[in-house]
Order: sequence, then structure tokens, then C-alpha cells
Amino acid sequence: MRKQLLLLSCFVLLSIITLAQRTVTGKVTDDKGIPIPNVSVIVKGTTTGTTSKADGTYSLTVPANAKALIFSAVDMTTTEKAIGTQNEIDVSLRSEDKTLTEVVVTGYGTQRRREVSGNIATVKGSTLANKPVQSFEQALAGRATGVQISVPNGVLNTPPVFRIRGTNSISLSSYPLIVVDGVPSPTGDFSATSAAGNALASINPNDIESIDIAKDAAATAIYGSRAANGVVFITTKKGRSGKAKVSYNVSVSWTQPYGLPDVLNAQEYTDYKNMAAANNPGINSTNPATSGYTKFALATDASGKTIDTRWSDYVYRTGFSHDHNINVSGGNDATTYYFSAGFSDQEGILIRNDFIRKNILFNVESKVNSWFTVGGKIAYSNEKNLAANSSGSLPGEGFATAGLGRIPLVTSPNVAPYNNDGSYNITANNVVGPMNNSLAQVGFYNPVVVLDLNRQNSEANHIQSHVFAQIKPVKWLTLRTLYGVDYLLVDNESFLNPIHGDGFSATGSASSTLGKNKRWTWTNTAQFDNSFSGKHNVSLLVGNEQDRRTSEGFGLNRQTLSDPAFTVIQAGWVTPNTSGLAFGENYLLSYFGRATYDFNKKYFLSGNIRRDEYSAFADKAATFWGASAAWEIAKENFWDKSGLSNIFNNFRLRGSYGKVGNTAGIGDFVIYSSYGSGLYGGLPTLQFNNAGNSGLQWETSTKIDVGVNFSMFKDRLQIEATRYYNDIKDLILNVPQAPSTGVPNAIPLNVGTMYNKGFEFSIIGNPFRGKNFSWTSTLNVTTNKNEVTSLAPGLSEILTSTSGLETVSRTAVGFSLGYLWLVRNGGVDPTTGRRILLNKAGQQVLYSFYQNTGAGIYNWINPDGTRYSEPGQAVGVGVTQAKDGVMFGNTIPKVYGGWDNTFRFKDFDLNVLLTYQFGFWVYYGTWAGLHDQRFWNNHRDVLGAWSKPGDVTTVPKPMYGDNVSNGSALPMSYNAFKGDFVKVKNITLAYNIPAKLANKAKFASARIFVGGQNLAIITDYPGPDPEVSSNGNGNTNQGIDRNTIANGRNFVIGLNVTFQ
Amino acid sequence: MKKQLKYIISFCLGLVMVTSCKRELLSPIPQTFVIDLTAFETPARVANQVTGLYQTFKSGTFYGGRAQIAGDIRGEDFINETTNGVTGYDVWFLNATGTSQNFIKNLWAQAYQVINGCNIFIEGMAAKGTTVVGAALSSNYLAEARLLRAASYFKLLEHYARPYADGNGSKPGVPLRLTAIKEPGSSPMARNTVAEVYTQIIADLDFAEANLPLTYATATLNTTRAHRNTAIALKTRVFLAKQDYAKVITEANKIVAQNTAPFSATSGVAHALQANIVNVFRTPYTTTESILSMPMTSTGGDNPGTQNQLAYYWSRTPTGVGNGEFSLNTVSGIVTNTGWTATDARRSFNALVGTPPKLYLNTKYTVASPFTDWAPIIRYSEVLLNLAEALARTNAGVNVKALALLNAVRQRSDAATILAPLTQTDLINAILLERRIEFLGEGLRNFDIMRLLQTIPAKGTVAAKAASEPGYIWPISSDELSLNPLMTDN
Repeated sequence: MRKQLLLLSCFVLLSIITLAQRTVTGKVTDDKGIPIPNVSVIVKGTTTGTTSKADGTYSLTVPANAKALIFSAVDMTTTEKAIGTQNEIDVSLRSEDKTLTEVVVTGYGTQRRREVSGNIATVKGSTLANKPVQSFEQALAGRATGVQISVPNGVLNTPPVFRIRGTNSISLSSYPLIVVDGVPSPTGDFSATSAAGNALASINPNDIESIDIAKDAAATAIYGSRAANGVVFITTKKGRSGKAKVSYNVSVSWTQPYGLPDVLNAQEYTDYKNMAAANNPGINSTNPATSGYTKFALATDASGKTIDTRWSDYVYRTGFSHDHNINVSGGNDATTYYFSAGFSDQEGILIRNDFIRKNILFNVESKVNSWFTVGGKIAYSNEKNLAANSSGSLPGEGFATAGLGRIPLVTSPNVAPYNNDGSYNITANNVVGPMNNSLAQVGFYNPVVVLDLNRQNSEANHIQSHVFAQIKPVKWLTLRTLYGVDYLLVDNESFLNPIHGDGFSATGSASSTLGKNKRWTWTNTAQFDNSFSGKHNVSLLVGNEQDRRTSEGFGLNRQTLSDPAFTVIQAGWVTPNTSGLAFGENYLLSYFGRATYDFNKKYFLSGNIRRDEYSAFADKAATFWGASAAWEIAKENFWDKSGLSNIFNNFRLRGSYGKVGNTAGIGDFVIYSSYGSGLYGGLPTLQFNNAGNSGLQWETSTKIDVGVNFSMFKDRLQIEATRYYNDIKDLILNVPQAPSTGVPNAIPLNVGTMYNKGFEFSIIGNPFRGKNFSWTSTLNVTTNKNEVTSLAPGLSEILTSTSGLETVSRTAVGFSLGYLWLVRNGGVDPTTGRRILLNKAGQQVLYSFYQNTGAGIYNWINPDGTRYSEPGQAVGVGVTQAKDGVMFGNTIPKVYGGWDNTFRFKDFDLNVLLTYQFGFWVYYGTWAGLHDQRFWNNHRDVLGAWSKPGDVTTVPKPMYGDNVSNGSALPMSYNAFKGDFVKVKNITLAYNIPAKLANKAKFASARIFVGGQNLAIITDYPGPDPEVSSNGNGNTNQGIDRNTIANGRNFVIGLNVTFQ
Repeated sequence: MKKQLKYIISFCLGLVMVTSCKRELLSPIPQTFVIDLTAFETPARVANQVTGLYQTFKSGTFYGGRAQIAGDIRGEDFINETTNGVTGYDVWFLNATGTSQNFIKNLWAQAYQVINGCNIFIEGMAAKGTTVVGAALSSNYLAEARLLRAASYFKLLEHYARPYADGNGSKPGVPLRLTAIKEPGSSPMARNTVAEVYTQIIADLDFAEANLPLTYATATLNTTRAHRNTAIALKTRVFLAKQDYAKVITEANKIVAQNTAPFSATSGVAHALQANIVNVFRTPYTTTESILSMPMTSTGGDNPGTQNQLAYYWSRTPTGVGNGEFSLNTVSGIVTNTGWTATDARRSFNALVGTPPKLYLNTKYTVASPFTDWAPIIRYSEVLLNLAEALARTNAGVNVKALALLNAVRQRSDAATILAPLTQTDLINAILLERRIEFLGEGLRNFDIMRLLQTIPAKGTVAAKAASEPGYIWPISSDELSLNPLMTDN
């Protein structure tokens, strides 16, 4: 410091001594001739300089021996101009490649894009704003290379499936770490009811400045043991110095269901089911007493019209939503602020599925003096996630009797929701009334009753706040401390009516639980920055962090209403019980460091290291690290000489390597073998309920990342290509023990290995860049190959069920996670109309649901083509999934990405985003249900079912009661479909009201937009949406569409205005 | 001064950074459960572990509900009403597969969870617990653990292995696991033979008989905890399954002292038939007829849980309780038996309930949600009929005591009827018939069919199933086949 001062004095002195000086004036403009203020103008080789004024002009006294002036400004290419004899030097600065100069959040700090040698993708907040979504990740699909987002169902505020470069864990979470303004955020569904409650919905997408997604080891290693799934940095908006700016955004939107399966109408249903009943000799012949049992018959309503109920009309709706956001920002040189308040009231496509968010954000930062800055954030959000009843779409709900996804598909169309006297059509044994059908049951619940009377609500109060102080005792040192809290308090409240539905057998049931999830994070860092001889730029960061989380839950469940009019838990009930008890605590203590170095912005090196100590492990500490290097070839002289610089304006090679960990989702006390408490007839008990593993360690990922990025034709074309390889070791597998061991849980062991590898490719082009019209197009492509390379010794497979009932997902060595494991369908036998199954050896086996005495359920087709005739032939060996299932197809997409286009024409702009996923299978379990020959209603394609010898069809001869030929009881490839799709994910057309016009109306700017989401989908998939997932973020049971509500189609119209 | 200030602040900040860590938080002490190492440290913990074994045993997927339900719905006396795979449609249809979660997989897993719990307890007592509670109490506790282990193996054999009668126990049984498993690595284990498992069951029950207390202080404990007579009663069932009728007689005679009615146990708990059978199934459920029942309360976790409750399956609202999953077979079920008179008290357990279409249902269990009827496991009337059958089978003609035992059971509920079979075969058949009437809804029907290798009769839309046909016994849990390389399927 003192030395520099001395140096400066010498220069000044020298200048005075020379005495020979003159004044140079001029104007700095951009390439369009618009003046640029605040450009630094310095005499080359000196520190003498000035800055340009608001009109771009400058005036500078220069020594006579001055050779040149150097002009530099933020986002502009630094330009050198020789001083000849002239006294007036005007200069036009070219804007720099924005992507290289923008600031990237790197964890505990920021860097300029060009200085980053790790792999970090950035998405601007503006691309996520004003979208009809509940949380920002839902709008992230297709926006960033390597990032796969799937919204798994149409229930509001459901957490998306969020994967960075594939699925990186088996038993732990594969969700990336989300860091909001420096404080890690909880992720996942915090609702304990049938309403989804994504923790990240607390962040109003309109308040997001940018999202930086760290993907490789170098970029993520600073988060050590939590980095393996990638790290997503959310930066909320800050104020800028200047006059206060007020913005108001409003939008309204409508969401509709689309692609609902086409089911039989009342007449078709009645005829078809009667035929199926007639085809089952067991029903009429073997049990005369139940022969009346098979009759299906139409009924009439009060006006005498035949009842033909479209049950989906009673479950779905067009949801109307409106969203308001107002913010005030501004400040002076010392203090800046951003204040925002939002209100969003959204209706889903399911009746009574609503999302209401009220949120406030206040960011402030104040420079107390030249070396001391303080600031902080207060963010509070209240979200109400409302639902009447189970949608059947959240993980674990796939086969819920009340599941609203399945009910409209299953329920007979020849009965109505109401009796002709206006009362609910329900029976005493809690199903929809059969009306004229003489069968006791033609549906599960009557959805109208549960939608009218039940409640499944969850309300989150989320506080995300922090305070920080920053000191720069000397120029090259920055000390910073940040203390943040994240309190997510969730009130769950449900009521199940006593009349019908899930509350029926309990004569009403209500639950209220409170979940308290609290976290504090305290981070202290010291950052050293220095530059030697103008070329060696060194930066060093050291820090420590404490991250403390506690969770507590408690609540009450009361059953049996004492008065049918009551609906709240505080009313009169018979049975009280506890509900939602939870207790957890953990603590992460870390020390970390980062060093970056670049030589003349040409060679870049960086290294990150973090040592984490975590309370959940017995052996608590481990060290993680990552290193990267980059080479900006375009800065080399030979590049210039070769003439390549005429084509490529930058060209960079980079690579990184490192080792990071994963603890997401691991239990707080997983190391202990333990005994839990319970009751035996009122007496206290202690029972062995958990086998722990005291030697458990972190999952570790070794990540390699090699890539190139370059820009051509003056940034007209920017291309980035990366090869990534993520080798995961010591996978924590919850290793199931053979049930006969009697071990009550799967024991967590560090045993498996797996890799994810692939290419990332993005191309940004500006095919047109005219004054009135421009087109920017970004295509990103990510390929992913996932393979499990080892499991635990003796463990050949991991079978993962969907909602505990149906198992089609098998994870085995040599395959990708959650491979479909199915019995192969051999079609329908034209001679008998029976389903043909292929056994393990590929032999054709005919299946018959009804078994004549002596005839088998399974009959084989002989190699010579002759088949056993029915009845009375030898019994074939049964086909089972365990014996005859094959590894049928992968569920992880091989290729995914997005194609984003922005067109500007004068004051209009149009954004079109297509997303796509290719190369994967979906098990469409709903399809099995749609062909189930119990009372269930069927897809209309059953009208083409086999009816006489010679018929060639995909639908076997219907036989009442048959739940095997369709795959309900025997998972079958009949229900597996290619999921490849291209979606018109988002279209926004906006009109920016010209400044003159806006100013007249006292606006600084105004913008009107219309748009839509999920507008079209190109796919061969027969269901509404191949992107849905019955198992949410499950790692080993993805790609299952079982009774899931599809995403809605959405139209939005809105207005943004700014006052200044 | 200013410069000093910033150095002072910087120094303080640095100091805070270095000293702020709360290292003690890295080693939290569990607050909501007991860790393995300390589970045998106090007499109270050991006592709670014993009740813990019972709690596992009474799980709704096992002896708290589904074990009994499976025993009934495989037989011909019930008709499935809801075609619901979760509530036993495939079990009833006799086409359940090894992937069938709710019966085949869960019952298998729960039985072994009890077995391993018992093994852990037995080893823990040897290592520590016995010194904590003293030898006398310890041997009581160990006897209870071994009885529960035996009962669990016995239920496994019933469903997953060929009956003893098929090859005198030479067929594959189930893996006989007798050591505690708390670590990974023990999955592979081959099936023992049926006979080997029986040997262990009998050894456990013999040990239990020798070491269990004669009685407990309360009627509740006498019904819900194993005592000496419980072990004896269970042995009569086990030997009946083995068709070792002499042993049935030996065991039964220990607690059926008389040659003529009234019969009762004269040592230990004074088991006897109740005057009115209805009272056996009504609160407080603790008559001396109930030798072992699983107690239920309305507190969460202390009852069978969703879709596991006997009343939920058999009965139905509005006149009854529950969901009417299964109705009584009015075509070929026991309710069609004409010798079962309308005035028989046990007929009061059958009723036409519901709004139209009404169904003929079993209403033995009557408590509404959360369905806290105690789940019966063995009653004194079964011991009487076990003894009657053993006597009938081992004595030519119509054995007098066997007939007396049979009529004791019949006339308790139907005083006007005196059964008078004329031949040995008639007597045996009358006893078997009486069992169907007496234990309808208590889960013994499947046991009675299987132990005699009888054909499972047709019912509703389901064809009869001969003992030689596939599906006569359950397949093995697919999880077991997947994770235990030495396991073989049925």
C-alpha cells in the first residue's frame, strides 16, 4: 500500500518535472454511436487518467512523451489508441463477448465468465419470470445444457425431477444442492398431505437475478460432500444506485388438462362388459348363485335420459390463476436496496388443487466506508398448497383408492355421481353406487363426494434471511462473514369426511401436524486478490462454514366424528392419536479454500478443496477437491498470425478433475443399530427396528470434464462442447437383506459403483442481427449414458416398486438405473384370442384367465406351431415375472435438451422454447388399468378386441375379471412404450410499448405479453405425457406412468410496467 | 485511528471464525430411540423388549390380522367381494404370485422379523440381559421368545411348505434361522426340510412349557402373554399338523383333565369354555377360553392398521363395521350346513348386512375403526377339538371321550343338539365340520385342509385345487428368491 503510494507520488513528480504536457479531448461511443459514460481513459504506462462524462466526452492532460491512451469499460473490449499529434481522439468501443464478461457465482464469491475454468451454466432470471409455474425449477427445462428437468405430474407445486448430468445416486438423493444467496436451501416436498409442497416455491421466480449451475468437480468442489449432484446458485435481485425504480408485473393464466385417455361411453361399456362376462364361463356356470352378478345395465337420470357420465368432467377443470409482483429498487453510491412483494393465486387442473403464495423480499447493501460494507436479506414467504383429495400422482400414491388420476378412468360411465333424488350416488360399503348394474361394485370412490367434502392442505411459512459484513483492511484482502437462517415451518391439515372415501371406515378422520425445519449457516471467508506485473492474477479464498439443521414434527390425528357437521380437528372426536412425529438434527462443519490463477487472461488454473465433518457419520471427516485448467488459444500470437482469429474471436480449451461427495437424504442417525418404542396392548415395548452401519462413509464422485468453447464470426456463433465422465464410488446402497434374515430395514452400505458419461453440446447463433429484426437461437443437447458397474456382494439386483405394489423397475449391474423388467408380450393369438406371453426361453405361452377343470391357465404353443386346444389339455408351466421377466428397456433418456429461439421484430419479441428427450422407455401402467377386465372402464381401443378366430389385434378376447392379460397382475411389455418426445414447452409473444408512448403514460417502460406452456407435444407415446413420473425424484423407479395426472396446458397473458 | 479500527475489527472477525465452531454438535445423542449397545442395560428395557417381540408378532400383516384372514380366504367359506389385490383377491383366487406384496411377501417378511427379533433377544439375554434381570425372570422371558419363534415358524410352514403329510416332512420347508442377524451378509441360506423345522418348533415349545410361568397376575396378561398352558395348547395344534395324534393326546391331556364335560385345565390358567361364545369375542376379551389373543387398543400403532383388520374384511357398515371385503359363501360354504341350526349361538355371528345389495357376512368382530377387536390365536375349544380328533383317529369306532369333547363344543352354543355320529369316519367328519363352524373367521380353515392334503374346494368363480396342483401352497416371496441365492421356489 505504502509502496504503491510512493510509486504514485514519483509518477506525479515526474510528470511535473517534465512540464511538457498537453490536453487531449474526445468522445467515447459504442459501435452504434451512442456515448458511453464512465469509460476509464489512462495514459499507457502510467496511472494518469480520467473517466468519460455522461455525454461520453473526456478531457485529459497527458505528458508530451505519452504514446497511447487506453480506454476500458465494463463489458467493453479494452482499446488502445496511439497519440499522434492530434489533440482530439474519438474512439468507438466494441462490446465484449457478454458471455465472457458476465459475472458467474462460484460459491463464496463470483468470477467473470472468462476467468472461470470450471463448468458452470448460467440462466438469467428474466427467462424464468412471468411463467405460470410455482417454482423456478419448473421453468428451467431445456434452458441449460446438462440439466434435465421433468415436471412429474400436473399437481400444483410438485417438485420437478431435477438432474444434472444424469442420476448420480441410487439410495440417496440425486437432487442438486440449491444455494440461495449463499445459504443452502431445503429441497423436496415438505407437505405431509396429498397437496404437493415444493420447498423451493418460496422463491418467487420474478425475484431471481440469475441461476448459475455448477456441474463439474472444479466448480462444485467448494461444496465438498454435498456437491456430487451439482450445485445450483440462486442470486436474488439487488438494487442499483440511481433513482428509485418501481416495477409492477401482472399476469393471468388458464390451465387445462389435455390428452386425457379416451374411455368407453355408457353404452359401449355396458355392452363390452356384458360380453366379457359372457366370455367367462366361471361366472355363469360354476356358481349359479352369482349369475345375476354379471349383468351390466344402463340407467336413466331424473329426466329420463340415459346416464352417460364423463367422470373426468367431475375431476378436472380449467384452472384460472393470477400473479402479481411489485418491486422497488434503487439506492445511492453507498446504499442500494431491492424490495419486492408478490402474490400468486393459482388453480390447478384438478378441482380444488390450488396454490397461493404471498412473499416479500428485501435486499439491502450499504458501504459504510471505503473498507466496510454491511447488508442482508429478509425473505418471507407463505404458501398454501391446497387439495381436496389424493391425486394419486405423488410418489407412493399410484394405487391410492382415492387417487383422482385413476378414478375417472376406472369408474363405470353408466352410473352418475348423483342419484336421481339429488343425493350422492354411494353405497354402504364405500364405493360409487352401481345403479342398474347388478354387480356390487362398478367403481372405487365417487370422486364428487371427496372433492366436495375432503381437505388435504399444507401451509408453509418460509423465512430465508441473512446478514453479512465485509471488510477490506487492505486492498488485496476481503474478509466476509455471513450468517443466514432458513426456517421452513409447515402446517399440514387434513380432513377426511365420514360419509365416503378414505375417511369412511374411520367415521371421519382429521390430522393436523406441524413440521419445523430449521437451519442456520455461518460462513466466514477471507479472500486475497492480487495481480503481479499486470499479468499474473492470483486469487485465494479460505473459509469455514457451519451448517446446522434441526427438524421436529408433531401433530394429532383424530378419528370418529362425534357430530357429522364437524370438520375441524378441534371439534368433537372419539379417538386421538399422535401424527407426524419427527426428530432430527445434524451439523456440518467445514473448512475450504480456493486458489485461482491466470496468466494474462490466457492460461487459467483453479483449485478447490473442502474438508467436511458431518454428524451423521461415525468417522466424521473427509476431504474433497477439484482442479481445472483452461487455455484461451485465441490470445496466442500464432492464432492471430494463422488468420484463425478472423473466424474465431475466442477459442478455449478447458478441463477439470476432482472428487466430490454426496450426503443428500442420508438419515441423521443412520450409523446406529437401534430399538424403537411401541405398544403392545397398551404396554410399552422396545423392538429392534433398525440395523445401522457404524462404518458408513460419504458417497464419492470422481468427475472428469473436458471441453472446448469458441465463438465465431464476431460472436455470431458460439459453440460449447464438453465430454463429462462421473465415476461414482462407495455408493451408499440401502442393501436389502433377504427377508428371511428378519432384518427390518435395508442396511446402508458403501458398496456400489456407477458411472454417468456423455456429451454436452450447445450452440448459440444469431442467424439474423438486423436493426429491426433479429433471431437468436440456442440449441442444447446433452447425452447421458448411465451404467451400474457393481452392487453389493451377493446383491444381483435392486427391485424398486411403484407405490409398494407393482415392481417393473430393476437395477442391475451392466444396465442403467431403473431398467424396465417385464414379461414380453407376444401379441394376441388369432386362433383363440388369448394373450401370448413369451417365457424366458422365448417360447410362446398362451394365457387364459378362466381355467377349465384340467386345462391350464398357461398353455404352450408347440414348436411346430400346433397349440393345445381348449379345454382339457395338459397344463403349461406358469409364466411369472421372477422367472420369465427380461431386462426390457432403459428409462433414463439417452439424449435431452432444449431449443430456445428469440425473435425480435421492432418492438415485438417472440420466444419459443422446445424441449425434448429421446431414447428411453416409459412403463405406462395406466395403460394396463385401461385394459383391465374387472369392472374397470376401458380405453376405446378395446372395441377392436379379438372376437372370432382369425382376428389380428392387440387386445385379447375380453374375459370378465381378467387382470393378467392386460398387465395389471403380471407386468408386461404390452404397457411399455417409447417415450421420445418434443414439446412446445413455452411460447411468449411480447410487445414492448415504445418509450415515447410509455413515457406519455408516465411509465419508464411497459411490456405486454401473451404466451403458453406445454402447447403441443410430438410423440408416439399413447398417454397424455411421457414426461410424467409416478415416483417423483426416485432414482431407481423413474419412467413409470401409473395413474398419474398429466401436466396441464397453459395460456398466459400479462403486463410488466416500470415507473421511474 | 481509522486504520487501527479496521485492523481491530478484522482481528475480531478472524478470532470469531476460529472459535465459533460447536464441535459437540458433531456427536448428537439420539433422543427418540435406544441404541443397540444399551438395550439390555436395565430390567425395564429388557421387559419392554419382551413386549416388543409380541408387538412384532401381532403386526397386522401377521397374527394381528392377515395371518388369520389368509387362513380363511384360501378356503371355501368366503367369497371375495371387492376384487382388490391389496385385500387378498389373488390369495382367495388361489393364483397369488411371489410378487404379491400384501400377503405372500409381507407375511413372509414379518414372520422372519419376529424370528430374528427372538434370536436377537435370546443372544442379548445370554450376553447381558440375564445378569440384569436375574435367572428366574430370564428363563420366563426366553421361554416367551421361543414360543413366539415357534408359532412364527409354524405359520410359515402352513403357507410356504408342503404339508407334513406330504412325504412325512421330507419336502422343502423354510430356512431355519436361529442366530441373531444385525449385520449384512447373512442372506444366503437354503431351505431346511419340513421335518427339521418341526423339530425346532417342538423343541422351542418344550422349552417354553418348561420355563414359562404357570399364570400371570391378571386375566389380561393370561390372554396376551404366553404361559405354560399356551405352550401346551400350541403343541396340540403342531402335533395335529404332523398327524402325530398320540402326542396331541399326551399334550392335550395336560390341560383337559376330565373325561366328561365340563372340561377345564386344572393347573396353570384355568382354561374352560365360556357359557356364551359371544362373550369370548367381546370386551374385555380375557375369558379363560382365550388362551392367546393379540390385544388391540385405539392408540395408533397398537391396532392392526389399514386393511389388516379382521372386522374390516368380514363385516361391513352400516349394520356392521368395516368394508365387507369377503362375504360368506352361501352356495357351498359352511353357512349352508343344515345341521348348523338357526338357534346355534354361533349363527349370531352371521348376518345379512348392508344396504342393498345386502350381503351375508361374518360379524364375529364388531368394533369400528380403528378395529380394536382382539385377534384370537388359540382358544380352549380348539384344544378340545384337537384332542377329540386325535382320539377319534386313534381309536376305532366312536370314541366316547372324543364325542364328549365334540358335544361340549356343540352344546355350549346349541344346547338342543346332541351330535351322534355312528362311525369313526362320521365322528372325524363331524369334528372337522365343527371346526369350520366354531372357528369361522378365525383363520383355521386353510390349516385344516392342508394338514390332511385335502382338495381346496371350489367357490364362486374359483375352481377347486387339488393337493397336487401348483398353487396349492403359496409361492415363495420374490424378494427372498432375489436376495437369497440358495432359496428355491415352490
